[in-house]
Amino acid sequence: MPYIINNEEGASKAATIELWPYSSLKPKGFAFFLSATFALITIPLLNVLGTRVFWGLFPFLFITLTAIWFALKKSLRDRQILEQLTLYKDQLVLIRQDPDGEQKEWACSPYWAQLRMYDKEGPVANYITLTGNGREVELGSFLGEDERIKLFDELNRLLKKLNGNP
Amino acid sequence: MADAAIHGHEHEDQRGFFTRWFMSTNHKDIGILYLVVSALVGFIAVSFTIYMRLELMNPGVQYMCMEGMRLTAAGIGECTPNGHLWNVLITGHGILMMFFVVIPALFGGFGNYFMPLQIGAPDMAFPRMNNLSFWMYVAGTTLAICSVLSPGGNDQLGSGVGWILYPPLSVNEGGMSMDLAIFAVHVSGASSILGAINMITTFLNMRAPGMTLFKVPLFSWSIFVTSWLILLALPVLAGAITMLLTDRNFGTTFFDPAGGGDPILYQHILWFFGHPEVYIIILPGFGIISHVIATFSRKPIFGYLPMVWALIAIGALGFVVWAHHMYTVGMSLTQQTYFMLATMIIAVPTGVKIFSWIATMWGGSIEFKTPMLWAFGFLFLFTLGGVTGIVLSQAGVDRAYHDTYYVVAHFHYVMSLGAVFAIFAGIYFYFPKMTGKRIPEWAGQLHFWAMFIGSNITFFPQHFLGRQGMPRRYIDYPEAFALWNQVSSYGAFLSFASFVFFFIVIIYAIVAGKKETRANPWNEYADTLEWTLPSPPPEHTFEILPKQEEWDKSPAH
Repeated sequence: MPYIINNEEGASKAATIELWPYSSLKPKGFAFFLSATFALITIPLLNVLGTRVFWGLFPFLFITLTAIWFALKKSLRDRQILEQLTLYKDQLVLIRQDPDGEQKEWACSPYWAQLRMYDKEGPVANYITLTGNGREVELGSFLGEDERIKLFDELNRLLKKLNGNP
Repeated sequence: MADAAIHGHEHEDQRGFFTRWFMSTNHKDIGILYLVVSALVGFIAVSFTIYMRLELMNPGVQYMCMEGMRLTAAGIGECTPNGHLWNVLITGHGILMMFFVVIPALFGGFGNYFMPLQIGAPDMAFPRMNNLSFWMYVAGTTLAICSVLSPGGNDQLGSGVGWILYPPLSVNEGGMSMDLAIFAVHVSGASSILGAINMITTFLNMRAPGMTLFKVPLFSWSIFVTSWLILLALPVLAGAITMLLTDRNFGTTFFDPAGGGDPILYQHILWFFGHPEVYIIILPGFGIISHVIATFSRKPIFGYLPMVWALIAIGALGFVVWAHHMYTVGMSLTQQTYFMLATMIIAVPTGVKIFSWIATMWGGSIEFKTPMLWAFGFLFLFTLGGVTGIVLSQAGVDRAYHDTYYVVAHFHYVMSLGAVFAIFAGIYFYFPKMTGKRIPEWAGQLHFWAMFIGSNITFFPQHFLGRQGMPRRYIDYPEAFALWNQVSSYGAFLSFASFVFFFIVIIYAIVAGKKETRANPWNEYADTLEWTLPSPPPEHTFEILPKQEEWDKSPAH
């Protein structure tokens, strides 16, 4: 599940929730694929080792290997979105980090914050938003439908608890 | 913070015709573009062969004359044979079919359209690069056709060196036609490599949650293995033809013995690319056939895991058998023994696939709808071509068959009939999904039977010609080969008629075909994700991750 909830019963904090988009390529898979490609792409070079033809082939093989490396890296980087919702006793802070490094913040008192889920009206089904401080912000729009329902229930429970009416 | 967007998100398709088809970054539109362009190029390449079969119908040269190309047979004494024209057509047919028809149709067309859908991805990983791949393919095709029409060797148009572009022939061929052909292959290679990078990234990083590698549908697997082969093989070709280009134009001697080069080395490099190339052509076909057979046998595919491993094994073995194309160049006995054994081993994973398809049908309730007929045809013809492949793999036997019509028959059975039947199976299978229209069943069946009978009449007699010793790549032949050449030509005309009929049927179906709006017009065994979408699918698909129960049908696909 691409999110974690840490219930921290500390003095000032109640919980931290981190959300990120799902990627099917894991670091191990990345390493395996690239090393296998590297091993296989050198086979034709072994054939022509020590001849001039080696230098005719090498640039193309090298460019290809670099290109697939960059492509996979870029695809992984494009999905580096991280949404961090921290529930302090007196404040909710939501920080969103985009792949381009931009950071967006939203904060509101938990008492005034409104948690809503739009079943159909949003851009995705079960669209979760938080309203407060004059803005309505989205949460976890990149998750799966079912994941958002679970997240909504979990968050609802935490907010109620935070506001003292469990 | 991303502010919430409610009510502001309408999925209206507001693109105009030009924007949609000429500037598209949508994988479904690009897939259709690939299919359309490859069909047109295929028509050109097929017309070349029809003209060649016309010439070969009778001994003597009646059509390809120095006095000009003719459409009616020349009388005795009216025609001086024009061997160059013949060679140009052979080369054009080979280059177009190898680089610009079958790969773009199967890999570019079906791969682009259905691989992202099957794994539940919203689009390819790099949509704009996808657009670049497509237009580079179009540019490459244009160059290839320009090459046929521009000044070449023998003070005539076009170059006639064969699609393999062996030096010294290709280095010494006059004119700019040869250079254009090399550029064409270059551009199409770059297009394929970019496409492969895109497909690999999509496949590895954009699968739906829960879809582990061994739960991916077989067609997507075949596209992934194909992309990997392209990634490893095509740069080698790019290097080889770049060296040809410098040998031709800048006086280098990579392949010229006079300067310390080695023309045989070119053959090794070319076939190091060339053999994986034939698997690049056929593997996506395997993927389509698996889905078609499972659907119309109403059974999940037999042995999913061995099927995947067979794909991988065929891909891997494809890289270590290249020299069986060149037994006669003077390799040592040990080398020939190795390549012979390695080649024969490929029959094992291929056999796993063939028998798994048969086992899928075993005890199933088979429906002979058009796609299933094509799949049946594929199975029969591909197996036949595979068997002659085993015959040819023996270095000793190959001494007799090398460069005869037996080889022509063999590779047309596996590629022209195997891969092309897979393409047609795919078109009839996916046409309702892609267009929301139905192809009349009788038309599909008629097309199939005409093509099946026609192509068998074309290519089966070529086995006899090969056994009689008729060599490839000649415009003329002695009287003794007349009978089977005539039969073969009749078969070619029948196949061509069926091909023209196919175009008419497709145009009819798109313009006036019955609507087919059901998400799944076949049955519940067509259970991959593309069948959960409406037909035709909307512009944007799977922007929301699909749920596992939509695609994870236990026990297997």
